[in-house]
Order: sequence, then structure tokens, then C-alpha cells
Amino acid sequence: MTRVVVSGLGVISPYGAGAKTFWTGLATGECAIRPLTVIDTEGFRSRIAAEVPADTVAALGVSRRRSRADRIALAAAREALADADLAPGDRVDMALFVGAVGGGMLEGEKWYGEETQSGRPSPRIGALRSILPVSHSETLAWRLGLGGSRETVVMACASGAASIALGADLIRSGATQLVLAGGVDAITRICFMGFNALKLLDPEPCRPFDRGRRGMSIGEAAAFVVLEDADHCRARGARALGELLGAGMTTDAHHVTAPHPEGEGMIRAMADALEASGREPADIGYVNAHGTGTPQNDRVEALALVRVFGEGRVLVSSTKSLVGHTMAAAGSVEAVATLLTLQHGLIPPTANLRDPDPEVPFDCVPGTARPVELQAAISNSFGFGGQNVSLVFGR
Amino acid sequence: MTARRRVVITGIGSVSAAGCGGSALVADALARRTPTIAPVKAFALEGCPSRLAAEVDDARLMSLLDPDAVRRLSRICRMAVAACRLAAEDAGLEGGRGLGLTVGSEYGDFRSGAEFFNGFLRRGPAGLSPMIFPNTVMNSMAAVVAIAIGAKAPSITLNQGTVAGDLAVARAAALIAGGRADAVIAGGVDEIFHDVYRGLAALGALSPMGGDGPEGCRPYAPDHNGPVLGEGATFLVLEEMETARRRGASIHAEVLGSAWGGIPVAPHTAPIGRRDAHRTVRRALDQSGVEPASLGRCYGSGNGDPSLDDWEIQLLAADGIRDPVSLAPLFGQHGGLGGLRVAAGALDAREGHGPTLVHGIARGGCRAALVIGRAA
Amino acid sequence: MTQKEILDELKALIVERLKFDPRRAAEMTAETTLPKGLEGSLGLDSLDFIELSVAMEERFGIVIDETESLTDEFLSLDSLSRFVLSKVK
Repeated sequence: MTRVVVSGLGVISPYGAGAKTFWTGLATGECAIRPLTVIDTEGFRSRIAAEVPADTVAALGVSRRRSRADRIALAAAREALADADLAPGDRVDMALFVGAVGGGMLEGEKWYGEETQSGRPSPRIGALRSILPVSHSETLAWRLGLGGSRETVVMACASGAASIALGADLIRSGATQLVLAGGVDAITRICFMGFNALKLLDPEPCRPFDRGRRGMSIGEAAAFVVLEDADHCRARGARALGELLGAGMTTDAHHVTAPHPEGEGMIRAMADALEASGREPADIGYVNAHGTGTPQNDRVEALALVRVFGEGRVLVSSTKSLVGHTMAAAGSVEAVATLLTLQHGLIPPTANLRDPDPEVPFDCVPGTARPVELQAAISNSFGFGGQNVSLVFGR
Repeated sequence: MTARRRVVITGIGSVSAAGCGGSALVADALARRTPTIAPVKAFALEGCPSRLAAEVDDARLMSLLDPDAVRRLSRICRMAVAACRLAAEDAGLEGGRGLGLTVGSEYGDFRSGAEFFNGFLRRGPAGLSPMIFPNTVMNSMAAVVAIAIGAKAPSITLNQGTVAGDLAVARAAALIAGGRADAVIAGGVDEIFHDVYRGLAALGALSPMGGDGPEGCRPYAPDHNGPVLGEGATFLVLEEMETARRRGASIHAEVLGSAWGGIPVAPHTAPIGRRDAHRTVRRALDQSGVEPASLGRCYGSGNGDPSLDDWEIQLLAADGIRDPVSLAPLFGQHGGLGGLRVAAGALDAREGHGPTLVHGIARGGCRAALVIGRAA
Repeated sequence: MTQKEILDELKALIVERLKFDPRRAAEMTAETTLPKGLEGSLGLDSLDFIELSVAMEERFGIVIDETESLTDEFLSLDSLSRFVLSKVK
């Protein structure tokens, strides 16, 4: 059976540019959630987020005419491809999966606001050309010369993870040996205002799994991985950073904003992922949780983890406590975090966890990273609307 | 080694300017070829260079839906739910863990995005409606259809211009072949929202492009001068063949082969002369075991956009395929059109014609090819 | 405001913000129950209640604490209008 490895990674995160910078931030447990600067937040209850630093965006080496989201996507994708050290001819059949939701909406909102308020056509109409999520895959395919299958996957908070799962499926089907898969989302006013309106945001940095948690913190990022047929990788003498052992994808079909109260879809996603990977729950040493910090998500996710692993039987932490909820990028950002965790044998902590919720019967690695020898780990992404993806990674 | 899972089409459901119904309605619409493109009725268009569209009749759409159940659903979500239900009924299929969903869309729910954002522009934070916010993400159609039908296998939304529906069907076939679902409701949906219509017209993306010639949809014709927008949702039920046979489903056709790829060109361009090094059509044909000489019709995605039409003709010619047929004049350009192309191929197969090639190429280079034929 | 006036305002909010058919407003009485799962109720779920709370805060100038459990208050139009009345005073 075809095995799928990861041979390259690239990340633009709230810590800055590059996978190394990303790992340093995670390992030191630094919380990157701060007052928002890219949009006006006057009058809103929660006014913080994890932004990609301004000097990182300025130094990306990508044209400023592109949308913020296109820019960070291109930079992260370039890093992943360089990391994989491919041969020149490899890109013609390389497939591309991009998880996206907001697209170039940040720039589109500015155009729309100007038009609506002035009543005159705004000169920023060019923003419309990259407003849709599909803009990222078109830009990346063109600039990077990728000629294989191309999909823009919109699956709310699970988009980045779904891209990776579907990319691996394509390799297993034999249709291609190489895939660039990941996700991207930049801060948008609609996202910021929407989650505020739903009262799902904590005015302070989020506290996943804490008894006093009050909601999420939003973030922005781009993360891509190169997925490769293991034989192909070995044959060209490249190094694998880890293996995607299996993936589960399910739908709650329950409610547009609330998860199934017993985590039915989450449990199935994890169970399917374990079955596909040929691993038992006992083989998994760590779960990189969806862990948004909302009272509801963390409670239901904990229920699901108890059902799959048993109380206290696995270490858990939330990357979103460090870099916020990066929306469509989250699944791929957290997949990269999980791979690096396995590689370094160090579990990044859950930040801001001062009073662990007794209804979450797991050690959620509060505050300080934990050195642990791991063979396999799971990364969970449970999207708004009940769309669930669970990825099993191995060393 | 397990035998490859084969994928068949067991149901069709469609909402469009040509009407709402299952495979019988679609077959009828294709046979009659009644033009549906007409002056836009839903909104005013002073000063707009374009005035035509193929609009869905809202009264007909609402007659398929329970007003209480769809109270919160935006218009595009209602279209998707209606069409998916029609497809499921056509196939005699119910929801469950093995049923997935793939939804292709070009523009998604811009209406809800604008409504939500306008609340803020008019009244600041107090003007925001929490209830509308979930509709502002493009996967909202898939989320509400999954709930309405009880589809618990993966539900995937794909954003793509021109070939969204084709891509959704190809993705669905792959999900079934790969064992992620036993059945998938697959297709595309788009609605005409006034801001999007006016914006596209202002950007010169609709007929009459460049202001030349009469406005209209004339794909592949020497006087083609741009697409005309349509709206609606068309979905097909794809199933693993043995599962379909065991439950006694009526099988319209088989997806004999599918492939999709992308020619790396600048976004929004359709540069004639750029070839497909990935050989998308060849891959689909190889998978199906069908040679170009044995193909019946080719349904192409050409919609009157001159550069795109010309590029498609050239790409197909390089694959040994000529005279593609466009359905755009019957239904207008929208995400559901790809679903209608596959439906046409399935209906051809049911009538003993074919096999059919369903082909699509978009500005920016995304390409899809599906071979549809009788299930032997 | 009287409780009756509040009740009429609530009906208007429910139609406008929760997208009910305006003809339903005529059928709504103080006894009309709200939450999904109750026989004959308007069938409102958590998302409807968030929307309604936001609308009520704006229309009546009150503040609703979302961490408080308000299941009893949101049971019927009667209990809801009493709740608003107590906040408005």
C-alpha cells in the first residue's frame, strides 16, 4: 500500500516568517495574541488577534499589489517547495490543494466600504480580482509552475486539514506522486465582526481547556506541506520529515454553528483516522486539539477524546492558545506543529491555562513545553458547521 | 488486491431558469433547448452595459421548500437544498454515514456577505446580525444541505470559476473510488446577486465584452462576445456501483474516467497556445479505456467568452476532439452548469449514445475531464 | 413601556430578525412558546436566541448577560416580555 510522507514545510505565522521561527515560538510557549492593528476594532468587545507581524509581511518578497492572503500563501508555499528540494521536472504533475475561506476579502471590504460610503466608484476595484478563495490556488499554480490537479477547499476551520487529507488520498490513488497542500487565511473584518457578534471571542487571549475560558482568539497564517509518495521520496534521496499515516473526514449534519452535543462526528473522524493508519489509541502519545477555547468546543472535544482514548490516556495541547484560530490555515498550521512536535520530541504547551477545567480529564501541558518521546500523534480540526478532519502523523 | 470501486450515477436534481425537477425535467429541457436567457427581472440595471441573464423563478423554487424549515436559509442555500433533495429523491437515496457531499461554486453567498457587512456600514457593531454570519463562508451551502439530508460522510466545497460543477463531480468520484463514501451528492450552485452582476459587467467580463456586437450567449461562434450569467443548482447522485446494484437503484450511467489538472497561467487569463503538459484529457480517457474515436459527444465549458472558447477548442483539438457542444445558451454561466454537462452525458448514456466526454477549462487554467458512459 | 407594548415589539423583532413570515405575527400570543422541541412552539434554536438577544438589547436598550442561564425567561413570549420589563425598569 502506498505510504505518504511529508518532504517539505513552509509557514508564515504570527511569530514571523519560516518554519524555524514558528517552532521557536511554539517551543517557548509564547502567546502571539495582541491588540489588532490591521483593521479598526472600535466598539467591539474583543479587540485582539494573532497577526502576522507587519515587518514580516513587508519583507515577504511578494508584490504588494497582491492581497495579504495571496502574499502569505505564496511565501509559505515557496518555503515548502524549497524545503522539499524537488527536481525541475517534478512540478508539472504536482497537485495543489489550498484550504481557504476569506480569500482577498480584507481588500475587498475596503473597496466595498469606500463605494458604499462615498457613493462613487472606488479606485480599489482591482481588489475584486483576488477576492475569492480560488485566487490563492491560481496565484500559486502560476508562480510556482504547478500543473497537476488543483482544488480550493472551503471547509471553514477544517479547510487546511482537509487539503492535506485529500492530497494524501490523491497520492494513494496513484494519480500523482507529489502534492502541495495547505491553507491560508488573513484577518478580515467579516470574520472578526462575525465571531464578535456571535459572542464567541474572549476579550483576553483565549484559554483553551481552562475552567474560566470565555471564547476564541482569531489569528492569521499560511502553512503548506509537500506530500510525497514514500517510494518516490526515497528514490530521489530526499529526507522525509514525517509520515501521514491516515486521515478521517466526517460531517456532524447537526447544526450550522454548534457541534453535535456528544461529539459524534469528532469521534468518528478520529476513529476513522486511526483505522486508516493501522494504529490503536494506545499508539498515540499526543493530540494537537482543535482547542478553540470556547466553552462548548472544548467540552465536547474533551468528551470525544475520552470516548476514543479514555480519561488521561493521552497528552493534549492547543496551538490556538499560542497563535490564535487561524481559520482556513488552522488545520495545516497545526499539522506542521504536530510534525515538528514528533520530530523534536517536545510538546508545545497550552498557553494561558491556569485553572484546568475538571471536565477535561487530560493533562493539557499548561504553560511550558514537555519533552516526550513520541511515535505518533493526532491533529484535530473540527470546523464550524460540523465538518471534522482528523490527521494521524508518525515519525 | 481489491478491485477498483466503480462509480455510477443514480440520480439528477436541478434548479435553473429551465425549471426545477429530477432527471425527467433535465432530459426535457435538453431536448427542447428552449432559450431561457432574457432581460434581468430581479433588479434594476440602469447604466449597466449588460442586461441579460437566465434567472430562476423564485415562486417555483419556494414551492419545493417548507418555508418554516428554510426560514434562515439564504437564497443560494435554498437552491442547493432544493436541488440536492430532488437528486436524492430521483435516486431513491437517504442520508447516513456513507453519504457525502461535494459542492462547487464560483461566487458562493455574496448576498449574505454584503448583507452582513452592510449592517456594520449602516449602524456600526450594533447593526451586525449574528444569524447571517454563518452564511458568509462559502461552505454554508454544504453545511445546510448535509443537515437537511443527513449526509455524514465528508462534505466538501470547492471554489472554482467555470468548471466548479465538473470539479465537484470529479472530486466525488474520487471520494467513492477511494472509499471515503459509498454515495456522494455532487454538483454546483450559484445565484445572481445584483452587486456581483453589476461588478462583472463593469469589469467587462460579461457579454457584450468590449461593447462590441449584440449582447447574447454564442459559444464557439465567430461573433461570440462574452458569457451571460445564469443561476441555479444541479446535483447528481454518484454511488459505488455494487452498493447501487444491491439496493436496486436505477443506474443512469457510469463515470468511466475522471481527471483534473491545471495549466499554470496567470490568473484570469486564457492564453491560447499554452498547452496542458499534465495531459488531463488523456488521463481521463486512459482511466476509462475509451479512445477519442469512440467518443460520442463532447460537452464543453465554452460559454461565449472569446479567449476561453478559443483556448478550449485548441486544447481539445490537440487531444483529437472536435465540435464541443455548449449548454450555456440554455442555462447561463453558473456553477450548476458543470453538473448539467455531466447530467447531459448521463442521459446520453441512458439513451444508448456515448460515451461522452465532459470537458471544462477555466481562465487561470483549471481543467477537468470526465468520461461518462453506460454501466456495463 | 407596558408588558403588552413589549410583547408587540418582540413579535415584530421575531418576524424581522428571525425571518418569519409576517402573517405568523398575527397568530402569536403571550402563550406562544419559543424553544425548539416544544410542541407547537416557534422552534427557535441557539442561533435564533443569540440573534434575538442582540436585537432585544438594541431595541430596548438593555444588557443581556450571555453567561447567565436564561432558559425559563426564553420559554414563551409572556416570560420573555416579563424579563424585558424587569430589565427596562
